[in-house]
Amino acid sequence: MTHSMTRRDALKTAGCGFGWLAAAAMAAQRSSAANPLASRAPHFPAKAKRVIFLFMQGGVSHVDSFDRKPLLDRENGKSMNFDDPRVLAQTGRRGSNQRLMKALWNFRQYGESGRWVSDLFPEIAKHSDDLCSIHSLHTEGVAHGPATLFLHCGSTNFIRPSVGSWVLYGLGSENENLPGFVSLAPSTGNGGPRNYGNAFLPAVFQGTSVGKVGAAADAAGIRDLRNPAPVAAQRRQLDLLQAMNAEQLKQASGDPEFEAVINSYELAWRMQRNAPDILDLAGETAETLRLYGIGNAATDRFGRQCLIARRMCEAGVRYIQVNHGDNSANPVWDQHSNMPKHEELAQSVDRPIAALLADLKRRGLLEDTLVWWGSEFGRTPYSQGNGTGRDHNPGGFTMWLAGAGVKPGFSYGATDDFGFQAVENKVHMHDMHATLLHLMGLDHEKLTYRYAGRDFRLTDVHGHVVREILA
Amino acid sequence: MSSTVVAWCVFFSSASVGDIDFFEKKIRPVLVEHCYSCHSPEGKIRGGLRVDSRAALLEGGETRAAIVPGDPAKSLLLEALRSVGDLKMPPKQKLPDAVIADFERWIKQGAVDPRTPVAAKGKEKSKSPTVEEGRGFWAFQPVKRPEVPKAHWAKNDLDAFILAQLEKKKLKPAPDAEPRVLIRRLYFDLIGLPPTPEEIDAFEKAAAKNQEEAIEAVVDRLLASPRFGERMGRRWLDVARYAESLTLRGFVLKEAWRYRDYVIDTFNKDVPLDRFVREQLAGDLMSADNPADRRQQIVATGFLAMGNNNLEEQDRKQLQMDLIDEQLDTLGKAFLGQTISCARCHDHKFDPIPTRDYYALAGILQNVRTLTPEGNLNKWIEVPIPSMTGNDEEIRKHEQAIAKLQAEIDSVKALLAKATARSADPKKPRVVSADSLVGIVVDDSQAMKVGEWKHSTFSGFYVGSGYSHDDAKGQGEKTLTFQPKLPESGMYEVRFAYSPGGNRATEVEITVFSEDGETTVKVNEQQPPTIDGLFVSLGQFQFDKGGQSHVVVSNANAKGHVIADAVVYIPVEKLKAGGVAKADKKTPEAKTTEPKSATKGDTGLKSLEAAMKKLQTSGPRREVALSFHEEKKMANARIHIRGSIKNLGDEVPRGFLQVATRGAAPKIPADQSGRKQLADWMTAPENPLTARVMVNRLWLWTFGEGLVRTPDNFGVTGERPTHPALLDYLTTRFVEDGWSAKKLIRTMVLSRTYRQASANPTVATADPENRLWGRMSRRRLDAESIRDAILAVSGQLKLDTAGPSFTNVSADYNYVHKDTCRSVYIPVFRNALPDLFEAFDFADPSMTVGKRNASTVSPQALFMMNNPFVLEQSKFAAKRMLAEKRDDAERIANAYRQTLGRTPSDAERRIALEYLAEAGNQPALREEAWSRFVQTLFASIEFRFVN
Repeated sequence: MTHSMTRRDALKTAGCGFGWLAAAAMAAQRSSAANPLASRAPHFPAKAKRVIFLFMQGGVSHVDSFDRKPLLDRENGKSMNFDDPRVLAQTGRRGSNQRLMKALWNFRQYGESGRWVSDLFPEIAKHSDDLCSIHSLHTEGVAHGPATLFLHCGSTNFIRPSVGSWVLYGLGSENENLPGFVSLAPSTGNGGPRNYGNAFLPAVFQGTSVGKVGAAADAAGIRDLRNPAPVAAQRRQLDLLQAMNAEQLKQASGDPEFEAVINSYELAWRMQRNAPDILDLAGETAETLRLYGIGNAATDRFGRQCLIARRMCEAGVRYIQVNHGDNSANPVWDQHSNMPKHEELAQSVDRPIAALLADLKRRGLLEDTLVWWGSEFGRTPYSQGNGTGRDHNPGGFTMWLAGAGVKPGFSYGATDDFGFQAVENKVHMHDMHATLLHLMGLDHEKLTYRYAGRDFRLTDVHGHVVREILA
Repeated sequence: MSSTVVAWCVFFSSASVGDIDFFEKKIRPVLVEHCYSCHSPEGKIRGGLRVDSRAALLEGGETRAAIVPGDPAKSLLLEALRSVGDLKMPPKQKLPDAVIADFERWIKQGAVDPRTPVAAKGKEKSKSPTVEEGRGFWAFQPVKRPEVPKAHWAKNDLDAFILAQLEKKKLKPAPDAEPRVLIRRLYFDLIGLPPTPEEIDAFEKAAAKNQEEAIEAVVDRLLASPRFGERMGRRWLDVARYAESLTLRGFVLKEAWRYRDYVIDTFNKDVPLDRFVREQLAGDLMSADNPADRRQQIVATGFLAMGNNNLEEQDRKQLQMDLIDEQLDTLGKAFLGQTISCARCHDHKFDPIPTRDYYALAGILQNVRTLTPEGNLNKWIEVPIPSMTGNDEEIRKHEQAIAKLQAEIDSVKALLAKATARSADPKKPRVVSADSLVGIVVDDSQAMKVGEWKHSTFSGFYVGSGYSHDDAKGQGEKTLTFQPKLPESGMYEVRFAYSPGGNRATEVEITVFSEDGETTVKVNEQQPPTIDGLFVSLGQFQFDKGGQSHVVVSNANAKGHVIADAVVYIPVEKLKAGGVAKADKKTPEAKTTEPKSATKGDTGLKSLEAAMKKLQTSGPRREVALSFHEEKKMANARIHIRGSIKNLGDEVPRGFLQVATRGAAPKIPADQSGRKQLADWMTAPENPLTARVMVNRLWLWTFGEGLVRTPDNFGVTGERPTHPALLDYLTTRFVEDGWSAKKLIRTMVLSRTYRQASANPTVATADPENRLWGRMSRRRLDAESIRDAILAVSGQLKLDTAGPSFTNVSADYNYVHKDTCRSVYIPVFRNALPDLFEAFDFADPSMTVGKRNASTVSPQALFMMNNPFVLEQSKFAAKRMLAEKRDDAERIANAYRQTLGRTPSDAERRIALEYLAEAGNQPALREEAWSRFVQTLFASIEFRFVN
């Protein structure tokens, strides 16, 4: 997605004198080709140039996957009092009686780091020595909608820009023929477009959705990229347009805004020619396709998304979100009643994710790409209503990072003995956001945008960089 | 200095060395290591709390004192360390219990602390401006009518102000625009549509004779057109964050369109805008002359209910305060140009709005209930509006009739249930197979079990192979989860089967998990089931395919045996279709055991139900509008310290922004919410903001930029007016003219300022942003105008389509926009805006947008090049053009006039002819070439701008 910032926009940014982009915009303005998506230097040098966020929508159970709790296994079935977040939010009542439910999958140790991972994710587990796991996440929002918005935008309710929009605003794009921020097959539920929206940031920083939930992510997924006419006829039409525009420009005596429109057509044409290639997997080897589980019914869809993510990463897309979700109010990983279903879901993502890590590594891309995995919250260590599922748990859960700038084979923070609440080296979602920006070379307190008389940032007035996990 | 020494000596004498030692060894190191970085001048001072001296701890932060020496139980510090409440410190990790015990002991022994208070380093944080300081700011000054400067160039007073400022800078205004430019500008600005070639011709002719008269005639015609309200109304809808769905779950607001039509009507009928403001805030509390006005007044209050709220927030107090914040944010920006919500957590950093004012206003809105709880969710509120046909009495009677009939049906059903239960012969086994039942059956044998459940067939009357019971043991440890595979989303009735008996539990907790959240129903299993002696209904619920749809039967709190036999999900359409009132009649057992009395009663029930159905579908229906209820008991709000619902401060009497209050503010009686008084205060002649903000908006809608260029922010961080005297002049005239939008807009568009050409090279260099209005700004066509203009050229535009914008939509996801109505009538779905709207900077319908972004980005180019809408409409337009009896050169000229409002230059004509000639003469190819040619005109720069 290319863009030509208008003079008015530039002056507006510059005039307020607060947005950190102001100076950059002024400089770019002087050099006449002000492109707000032009690649910009970060606040300070950083290893990570781009992010791939693997979003497991609905809430993966941490005690069944990456957060081993031997005591939970031992005390299985015992009734205990917990400050259940839903009960607490609805009634203000603390200490509701709940029955512990042990992990449904066995844990094993992997790699030199000896990290424990359950049999839910045996393939990702093999990359344990590359993962930097944070076991002490906690966040806001007990229901999916608020928590999903909080994960993406740092607010449960207010209309705020998403993480990807902030990153793009801070760093620009490395490839002007492609969108700088892509969400692959995003859900329309639980905030939908708001989760990759630009809110009050200029529209050029909006995420581009490619494909829809339940449909393959392919070229048809980018809006307005296809034309039924043959390429030659389209080019001839574009030439006609630019000839007409040139005449109109003469009459308007070279208005810069008119020039911006003319440029936008040329850039659009280049995008139309280039973007479909990125989504076309025909050039990939059979070995690569197999690696990602493409062709295998369980892993085909997510495998394709992961492979497209790698291709976008190579092409210089700044922020890529790969979604594993659906459009329902109770998204795929939301096992309130049927915990064993996690296995089926894990099978569809485990191999593709492992393949992505392996592929990025062998191509040297893990050096400057940050991979981020997780859900909007975790799940309770006790069964919901003493049933066969687990309820939401925003008080403690696991996310992992891999690649540029983080310690490999590292584990940070902990939940209590049952995995209910983060207690050691707690990392709030605001802290996670601050850390992500830091890994990209951006200071979360300086990456601001002035809107409606106030300087906004991703982390509002919160957030601490978790320095302990930095490589 | 000496006095300090004396003070400390006294202190030391009363504290034993042991206490100090304890502090130095056990307390100080912990404070330094874990607390100073956020609570001392060495780091930040969060929450206003410093812990680097005893005095600071006694003073505490924004909440209250951190320690009460001698009383650990009352010491907030200890509460935070123990992490028992919402305050948990240190935030990252709780301190070891032994350390916390040290603190407890320290406080208990008097909190001895020898540290000397240190002054904060660096400069004090800049203080928020006080209300008195704030009154001097321009926006809070009373509006005064200034003298009109003298000017030769002026057509009206407005021009005199503009010229005076231009002349100060030694600049000359631009010459008048050519008539063809002016008419295109007037059409797009006033009605949002292009003039037809015939209208352009007529205007050019008339203007050649008498320019003034020609312009006035066009302006008056456009102001009287119903299209005017559609154009201006849409601008207000941006401000009101108007939408017809909510982002979360894509819920559609079926009645929102009424508000949209009300706004359009307001501008078409030129309703005084002070009344417009009042109606949106408190229309429900105003008196009305007739039912039509009453309707409008209730519809108008939808303004407050239109927010994109988070219906899933589990903490309802939090939700309420967030919702009020959204309302305050919207009404503050929309009417007052003030960013009130900045004062939610602390006094406004830049503007003279203290937190007290925020909660004075919040108190007013706290007396309004905009949401109603529904399971785990909250739903918006729709209220009845008076009927236009005056049949309210008829409706009331009809509703009474329905209620009466319902009562009858209920009593017959109860009788029937008893009869059925009596008729059940315990000795004769009656097994109902799952296949014989209508709906999706989950038998107890398929349920997921927690704890030990016993299988039984003892009662002899059950679904499937028997039923389960908990043996009245292990209370609270056992559950059964019934998980259906529902074939499609929709409303289902959920029924639960059990075998009744005297030893059964009376309060079996059964929880249904649906899209409506969790609903727990208590079933008395000693009572016979009411449907066929087999089932009870748990209610009707919305389930989404893939969403949660399970039922959990628990033996918690049960006194007696808990029995579960089966759960059945019956689509409600099938219930309505009949034949599902009980187990399928084909089951011979069911048929034979039906007692006569029941059959009789059943027939009676059937006819009653048929009568009900008839009554429900036939009678007059009451119309409803999106609105809210007033609370029964009125109250003030309390200050929420740092915006937290869990940290309440003083109660604040309901009131208004002090800085914008001149003279006495309206009094709010204790038994009134204060909304009416808020509306009075807002539109009072002394209010310095409301009329100014509105006039600025009308200027912005007409000229493309405001006199204050931040239309939603008249505060310190906003821009100052470029022409303060003109703004005040227009405001006084506006108020004198009865807040008439049409009169003011007429003055504006008849001014010489508006009539200028957009090119004025000397002014453009001296004033690139056109703050002096020495020329007309060239503006991008907005999303709606682009779409409507394309449809006007293609001949597909449908006019006069007010009313509901959609039918049969339950969630807005993936809604496909196919209408060819005017853009203002397209449903504004927050999850499914038309591609064109998203590409061309349509206002985000979740927030107040006084001025839209104006971007030029490649997705717009892609849209124009490839979007099916553009391709399709171009084809329609080409067909129309080819059908006209002209030669190609004339057709090209006409195509230019239709799309760009002008004839092509020779060069342009030649380029077009060459392009079209390449297609040859074959009709299909010619049509294709023409349709690409028209599409190219749509894509060209001039089409996308107004000069």
